[in-house]
Amino acid sequence: MALERDVYKALEDVVGPENISEDPVVIESYPFPIRKATTGEDTYLPRFEAITLPKDTAEVQALVKLCNKHGIQYKASSTGWLYCDPTGPGCIKMDLRRMNRILEINEKSMYAVVEPYVIYGQLQAELMKRGLNCNVTGAGSNCSALPLAAHVNLGHLSQSGSYGERNQLALEWVTGDGEIVRMGSLGSLDEWFCGDGPGPSLRGIIRGNTVPLGGLGVFTKAAQKVYHWAGPARFPMEGVCPNYTPSYIPPGFMIRYLSFENVDKLIEAVQKIGESEIAFELMGFNTAMMASNAATDNEEDIKYYKQFSEQVQGPGFMIEIMGNSPRDFEYKKRVLEIIMEETGAWSLKPVEDPEMGRGFLWRFIRTVASIRETTRATGWGGGTVGGTDLFPLMTRYIQHSSYLKEDLVKQGLLLDDACYPFVQSIEHGHTGHGEILIRYTPQSPDHIERVQGMLDREANKTAIEGRFGVPQHVWSDKLHDMYGPHTCNYHLWLRKIKKTFDPNQSSESSNYITAKE
Amino acid sequence: MVLEDYRSDMETCRRCSACKFIPLEMALGYDHVNVCPSIARYNFHTYSAGGRMVFQVAMMEGRIDYSDKLLEVVYNCQMCGACDVSCKYAMDMEVIDPISEFRIKCVEDGHTLPALDSVINSLRKQNTMVPGSKAKRGDWAEGLDVKDFTKQNAKVIYHAGCRTSFDEDLWKIARGTVSLLQKAGVDVGIGGENEACCGGRAYQMGYKEDFLRQAKQNMEMFRKAGAEILVTGCADCYQAFKVLCDKFGMKGDIEVLHTSEYFDRLIKEGKLKPAKKVAATVTYHDPCYLGRMGEPYIHWEGKEIPGHIRIFDPPKKYRRGTYGVYEPPRDVLKSIPGLKLAEMDRIKEYAWCCGAGGGVRESNPEFAGWTAQQRIAEAEATGAEAIVTACPGCEQSFRDAIKASGSSLKTYDIVELLEKAV
Repeated sequence: MALERDVYKALEDVVGPENISEDPVVIESYPFPIRKATTGEDTYLPRFEAITLPKDTAEVQALVKLCNKHGIQYKASSTGWLYCDPTGPGCIKMDLRRMNRILEINEKSMYAVVEPYVIYGQLQAELMKRGLNCNVTGAGSNCSALPLAAHVNLGHLSQSGSYGERNQLALEWVTGDGEIVRMGSLGSLDEWFCGDGPGPSLRGIIRGNTVPLGGLGVFTKAAQKVYHWAGPARFPMEGVCPNYTPSYIPPGFMIRYLSFENVDKLIEAVQKIGESEIAFELMGFNTAMMASNAATDNEEDIKYYKQFSEQVQGPGFMIEIMGNSPRDFEYKKRVLEIIMEETGAWSLKPVEDPEMGRGFLWRFIRTVASIRETTRATGWGGGTVGGTDLFPLMTRYIQHSSYLKEDLVKQGLLLDDACYPFVQSIEHGHTGHGEILIRYTPQSPDHIERVQGMLDREANKTAIEGRFGVPQHVWSDKLHDMYGPHTCNYHLWLRKIKKTFDPNQSSESSNYITAKE
Repeated sequence: MVLEDYRSDMETCRRCSACKFIPLEMALGYDHVNVCPSIARYNFHTYSAGGRMVFQVAMMEGRIDYSDKLLEVVYNCQMCGACDVSCKYAMDMEVIDPISEFRIKCVEDGHTLPALDSVINSLRKQNTMVPGSKAKRGDWAEGLDVKDFTKQNAKVIYHAGCRTSFDEDLWKIARGTVSLLQKAGVDVGIGGENEACCGGRAYQMGYKEDFLRQAKQNMEMFRKAGAEILVTGCADCYQAFKVLCDKFGMKGDIEVLHTSEYFDRLIKEGKLKPAKKVAATVTYHDPCYLGRMGEPYIHWEGKEIPGHIRIFDPPKKYRRGTYGVYEPPRDVLKSIPGLKLAEMDRIKEYAWCCGAGGGVRESNPEFAGWTAQQRIAEAEATGAEAIVTACPGCEQSFRDAIKASGSSLKTYDIVELLEKAV
């Protein structure tokens, strides 16, 4: 379904001819890369009708209004790793690549304001020059630094740097029908420091359990809270790709990988570390993720996985400590030693190795190896993600998926890597979040169904029957309608939000919720 | 390997956008994180390596066909290989190779650009990729007392390359190279008017057969001369002789060195002594085809082992830009008394391209110039008074960009500075 000529012309008038295309070559390059073997006979994702490249909020608003006027849909995204394809015809793309400015870094009030195509690699590097740091979404520093752009925005730094829902400050939002809303202090004072006021506070509305994933208009500018950084303005990096490493560990930093006899001991250690607030990062990577992080290719990955697996006693986590002073650093190290003694933790020796350790240290701070961990094995991965709730609760929830994974591994359907649940502590143990990652070579649609389909079904069943709350893999009408009746009918409210702010359903919301009755 | 052989690689792309940026471990701030000129200039995902992977598969599956737009996208890429490095920081998949194979397919299918065809016609008629006649190719050496290796045996062959031979402003580099080699006591010869284009840039443009013809001609000539070492100051020639000729089994035993490598060796052996002070602060630009694309070719033949992790029998070693020529030119510069080296943000394997590669200078000068301007701005930000490089293509690009922008930056080849110091 090609766009009517007058509609295309109207869109073109907004962004200019250089910034719109409906050429098949351009259109075909945008869908998520799919292997033919996985789709069945000639089943491809629908294509966008046109790709647009707006340069600012005014252009976004104009495009949104045109879509509403002409009854077409739009989907906006920035770096565009996932969740940004249309599910039907009659939809245009807003590629926000040209909206790429850091608008402000306020050192005194500790916030940063960015447009959607600033990536975390840029923002973090700029912040570090100023003695500041930000949470980086776990997907990596190659992703948008707009907290609302990146799923839940949990990341390696969430132990001390929280995550999207909590870091979100003032925001500029073009609603589904084209109204510009300036939330929080931006709405009344033209300042970015607060998401809740003075001025309208709609943080819960625009965010929900995850984020609207392109289904509720376009977020064009956003402020986020940033944090103290005690490290150097520039990490002392050396080496040639892919073998980068800091030439030394800057004073005040330490990294360890600790493993435990069982999940109970791990939970105890995480809680004690949280209570004492000694950790800068704490991520429950299993040995497979640690191996992939360090390895520069798949052959090395297999070698490291074997090596690391032989040196752990059970589930574990990576912990980084950052001292604000020599005394603070010594204190934190000592507290960690005590907790290790009390919980019987083993420290993985290769991470203590100065060369390997400093490589890990920086990769986890800059968050650059998530691609290695999730997709290098075959280019294909998946799994299931839990919600955000009490750390022990989320650990128990995701542990169930790890049993399912073990079974799939036994059937030869997945890569045989560590099945320990991957859980992370947030805000020094205030909450937690778990995930099970799987890697495999899909041979057919049936293979995907047997693996991902089964995991999804079982994870949802566990979440509902076990009262574990709504996980963060819940998007789409189908899933919201499944969870809603068990969770205070939240789906009805979510649908009302969608209807109110996007009455014409112009903002393509297949990854959010539609306004259907 | 042909395009179809890279299907699995292309389908491994996950649209993470890493190919658009430098390896982010090395990001130093907001500026200079872009690494691919094509996506940086044209913005549509289509122009990135990830976009190219997807539409190339679409082409193989018959969902798109040749069109003006397709060719516009295909040829608006300098083939600089930066995407390949950034992707392979995390992934085991080929990137620049399938992009190259797609160009070769375009040429084989008769879908090219007039500007590139014109260049290739010159190659076929005059043995050069730049305007000029075969008879004048050796004019740069007029008055020099240097052997003609086609008539007299020489231990070392100096190959000037098309750009240097036909751009009078660059003759000083070729003449300086010969002078320095002779000062170091090297038995050097040149081809003069018998020198032939390496064909490297023809390969970048997709004209594989033209490259193979040039390579065969050159390697036969070098073999007859009995030389042990082939030296060139052009990054394209260096990569063609060292990497491409090896890839196609034509390199033989001759050692291929870039002038920066050879001078570095001669300095470290004490045969060249940079003693005169050259008081200046300079920055160094890594040519793509000397750096990341210039790393040795790795011969591999095998098959993927079925399973849930992509490994091969025998194990496949990927070229990731790790072993390009990065330190020798820097060591040469550091050996010059009084010279200070101020590095740019994007260096070595993640250096920003000068804009000239892949035929872009010929097919889209505006894009080539834009790319060079970005680099000049980055060089200026270091506080250096000059940008030094090691490739005539880069030097031409920067010279033009400086002229267009009114920048006060000077541009030098590494040989020019070394000559001042010796």
